Amino acid sequence: MKLFLQMVLSATVVGLSTSTLADSARVWNAPYPEKTAALQAKGDPVRGEEAFVICQGCHRVGALGRADGSYPRLAGQHATVLIKQLADVRSERRSNLKMLPFADHQALSVQDMADIAAYLQGLPVPPDQGQGPGQALALGERLYATDCVSCHGQQGEGDAQRFYPRVAGQHYRYLLRENLLIRDGKRRNSNPAMVEAVRRYSDDELSAVADHMSRLPGASAR
Amino acid sequence: MGLLLCGASARADDARKLATTVCAACHGPDGNSADPQYPKLAGMEQEYLLRQLSAFASGKRREEAMTAVLANVDPGLFSGLAAYFGSFAAAPGKVANAQLAAQGKPLYDDGNTDSGVPACAGCHQPDGKGNARFPRLAGQHQAYVLKQLADYKSGRRATDALMTTVGKRLTATEAQALAEYIAGL
Repeated sequence: MKLFLQMVLSATVVGLSTSTLADSARVWNAPYPEKTAALQAKGDPVRGEEAFVICQGCHRVGALGRADGSYPRLAGQHATVLIKQLADVRSERRSNLKMLPFADHQALSVQDMADIAAYLQGLPVPPDQGQGPGQALALGERLYATDCVSCHGQQGEGDAQRFYPRVAGQHYRYLLRENLLIRDGKRRNSNPAMVEAVRRYSDDELSAVADHMSRLPGASAR
Repeated sequence: MGLLLCGASARADDARKLATTVCAACHGPDGNSADPQYPKLAGMEQEYLLRQLSAFASGKRREEAMTAVLANVDPGLFSGLAAYFGSFAAAPGKVANAQLAAQGKPLYDDGNTDSGVPACAGCHQPDGKGNARFPRLAGQHQAYVLKQLADYKSGRRATDALMTTVGKRLTATEAQALAEYIAGL
């Protein structure tokens, strides 16, 4: 019986794609040279504003993103989170083919990444982000309190030290899209604790919690 | 100092002479070319034009005719040439197909979120006037814009990796719509 189980397990492993294997072997947020270098570089928001010009065509002026969820709001996000995500996209740890050419080495230097993150972190977050349908707010609030608040915070402020994103002020449709990708293993660089938190969520539950997050006030202090 | 100033103004004279006798044949005496295959240079930033001249001369930007012409030009005159053509007011372009131009506007302003084409306005400015980093597009000839987008797509023009991505992501219809909209800016 034990042998049989082992055979089934190894057959399953062989059947996985190489990228899935590499992903599962990876420790979440393990350091790698480029990410470490960008995190250690001193970001200059003035230079960052200039470097961010090439990002505006998608993320828009002021990094306010788009309510249709196609591009996230980056304004006010923690610099650590922005650098981690940018480095992960660029090194293809996070799957994002649309973004990839705009984040690669021809487009951005390591210093640019630090500068852009410093600029974005200091931008104001106006309370006009896209919100959800508002039909399951009680459910969303309950799910958030159970599974999300310990990392993303009472006000959706996230945690810069631990690389947990601020979710307050983000567009509902983007929050929903990423939650679906995380749950379904398609974002690829997700924290296993995050995947575990939403693993059993239905689409409706993900929508409810994304709707709740899109209405969080955010913390005034960043 | 007096000598240096004399030298600089002699250079500007040389550049002007070259511009009016050689470059003007294709680009027009005031940088507003008549033939749509040649770009209008009027109203473009000196820094951008200088960068392109250097790229033609070094072969980094592949355009055989320009490289051949520049082979006989003192690179010390490039800056004066760029300043000369950039100093003129750009003549407005002519929209040939208003319906296409109308389709180009949302693409120019917002991009295509499905295919990941960024808004042109993000870099080239909503009015297409550009700046030192990103060229002016407003009023440019359709044929020239289309040729550049096609060259980015094919890799023939490889001066900007992001524009290569844009060229590859645009459909032929989108490129035409943009060229019409840009002509009317």
